[in-house]
Parts: sequence; C-alpha cells; structure tokens
Amino acid sequence: MSKNTSVHVSLEQAKLLVEYIETDQQDKADELIAEIQNPINTELFAEIGKLTRQLHDSLNNFQVDSRLSDLATGDIPDAKERLNFVIERTEEAANKTMDAVESIFPVVDSIQEQIGTVKPLWHKLMHNDLDIGEFKALCKDIDLLLKTTDKETNKIHSLMTDVLMAQDFQDITGQVIRKVIDLVREVEDNLINMLTAFGLSSEEEKPKYATKVGENLVEGPIMNSESRSDVVSDQDDVDDLLSSLGF
Amino acid sequence: MKVLVVDDFSTMRRIIKNLLRDLGFTNISEADDGSTALPMLKDGSFDFVVTDWNMPGMQGIDLLRAIRADAKLSHIPVLMVTAEAKKEQIVMAAQAGVNGYIVKPFTAGTLNTKLDKIFERLG
Repeated sequence: MSKNTSVHVSLEQAKLLVEYIETDQQDKADELIAEIQNPINTELFAEIGKLTRQLHDSLNNFQVDSRLSDLATGDIPDAKERLNFVIERTEEAANKTMDAVESIFPVVDSIQEQIGTVKPLWHKLMHNDLDIGEFKALCKDIDLLLKTTDKETNKIHSLMTDVLMAQDFQDITGQVIRKVIDLVREVEDNLINMLTAFGLSSEEEKPKYATKVGENLVEGPIMNSESRSDVVSDQDDVDDLLSSLGF
Repeated sequence: MKVLVVDDFSTMRRIIKNLLRDLGFTNISEADDGSTALPMLKDGSFDFVVTDWNMPGMQGIDLLRAIRADAKLSHIPVLMVTAEAKKEQIVMAAQAGVNGYIVKPFTAGTLNTKLDKIFERLG
C-alpha cells in the first residue's frame, strides 16, 4: 500500500472503486477514497502496529525473564535484610567496645589516684627528706599500689581483648556488603539492558551531580569530597568557611 | 552545667557523652531527634545543646531554628556535630545562629577546642 504515496490513484484502485460502487458497497468505496487521499495514515497505522508488536514482545520477554522478578521479590528484600544485619552488627560492636572502654576508665582512674597518694612521700624519699614513720607509710602505700596495679592490669588486659574481639564485625559485614554490591551491579546491568531494549541510550544523559539547596539538602557522609567543590573535606575547611563568614 | 546531646544513633550519643564527661560535663541528657529534644529543652534548664543534623523526625537545623525562635531558649549555645559537609549547609547553620560546627568523623581534641571557643566567647 505504501507504493501509493507517489501515485495519487492507481488503476487497480480505480477499478476497485468502480467495482465497489457498482456492487453498491458504499462503505468500502468511502474507505478506499479515504485511503487514497491519505496514504500516510495507513503507513502510520502500520508503524503503530509494528511498535505495538514490539512492545508486546518486549513485555512478554520481561515476564519470561524470571531473574528480574526474582531480583524484585527475593534478592532485593534479602539485601535489605543483609544491610540491616550490618547496622545491627556494627552497632553491637560499637557498644561492646564502649562497654570495655567505659570499664577501663575507672580502673585507670583508681591507679592514677593511688599514684597520687604515693607521690608526695616518694618525692621526699628521692630528696632524702623522709623520716622513718613516713617511710613505713610509704612502704604501705607502695605495697597497695603494686597489688592494685597487678590486679587491675589483668583486668585491663582482658577488657582490651574484648575490644580486640569486637572488631570481628568488619570481616562479617565486609562479606555481606560485598554480596549487596554484587546485587546492585546485577540490577544495574538489567536496567541498562531494559533501556537498550527500549532503544534508549544510557549515555545520553549524565546524571546531574550537584543537588540543589532545599531539594535534597541532607546528604549524609560524603564519599568523594576531593572531586567536589560544594563540600568541605575536613574540619579545617569548616573553620575557614566559618571564619570567612565572620565567625 | 546541664547538657543535652541529640543524635539518632545511640552509639554516637554514647561517644559524645563519654567525651563530654572527660571534659568535666557530668549532667548530660539524651534525645534521639529534634522533636524529642525540644520539649525536654522547654521543661528543663539546659545550658548547652550538642546536636546532629540528619535525624528522622525533626532535623538538627530545624531544632536550632526552633531554639533561636523561642525567647526562653534562644540564649542556649548550640554545637552541631554532623556528617553533613556541604558548604551551603554550614552557611545555613551559621545563618540560623549555630555556635559551633563539627564535621564527623571528629576527634576528642576538636570537640575540646570548639567547646573552649564557645564558652570563651560567651564569657
């Protein structure tokens, strides 16, 4: 039918038209005239038909591709669980570490306090300024200090081991996060494939990196502060900026 | 001196509490976001606020503005300790009347210096 675009009316069409009119098929005759007058429409319809078929096939293919639905219904919820697990484990590790450190503080304080008690008499001893009574008192204080230090350093040692062991979260969470990164990569590949299937190039539009004030102001920790000019990279930058504002 | 530490992560509140305790602040309360902090501030006579920016519910910047807008609270110095590092945010906090701005990760030394500076200015 597309051959008709260059010719207004073909002989075949004319014959067909006469035939329709002679056999009293007015509807078909009208249709034919419309078609002759407007051949573009038929082309358009043909094109729409083709696109519809493509779309239909594509959608069918997506349904067939069970990996995508697995990703959406299984892997992504699973990844959320994994990331929650990371939050829990890191929080647990932070608390374990702080538990240990907070119990070390008073231990260190008590040792320091006893050293403070010993110091004045010790100072006198070092300057040959100690009488026998004071010497006896000093010996007692030092004895107590040695006993305390002995006992408390053992305690500190075991608490430090707790701190050390609390760091095992890094290995476990590292593995979990790596799995989630693999999943993100797979989803990314699938999305790119989808874009390609619909004839959209993923290169066409680079994401606009800088977010504007108000729309997404809160961004959280910045991973790539070196390559960005809209963020500070450390406390010195903050201080410089604030002092430039008269702070 | 009564201090309120506002952060949605309990571990960060614990770290800041420990550091503040080391610096001699012993009367410390905690809140997990601005909307829990504000009624606490209105009820109690707090002398100092340390707040995060990004929290669910009411954010730190809004808490700061609410404090400055309330005649009874507006005198309270506010120190922001946050991972938010955009220049416009720092400017925004300064314009809202923040007394100090610390970006995470930070050190005990930084906290100490900023506190000294804040209280030195207040006299």
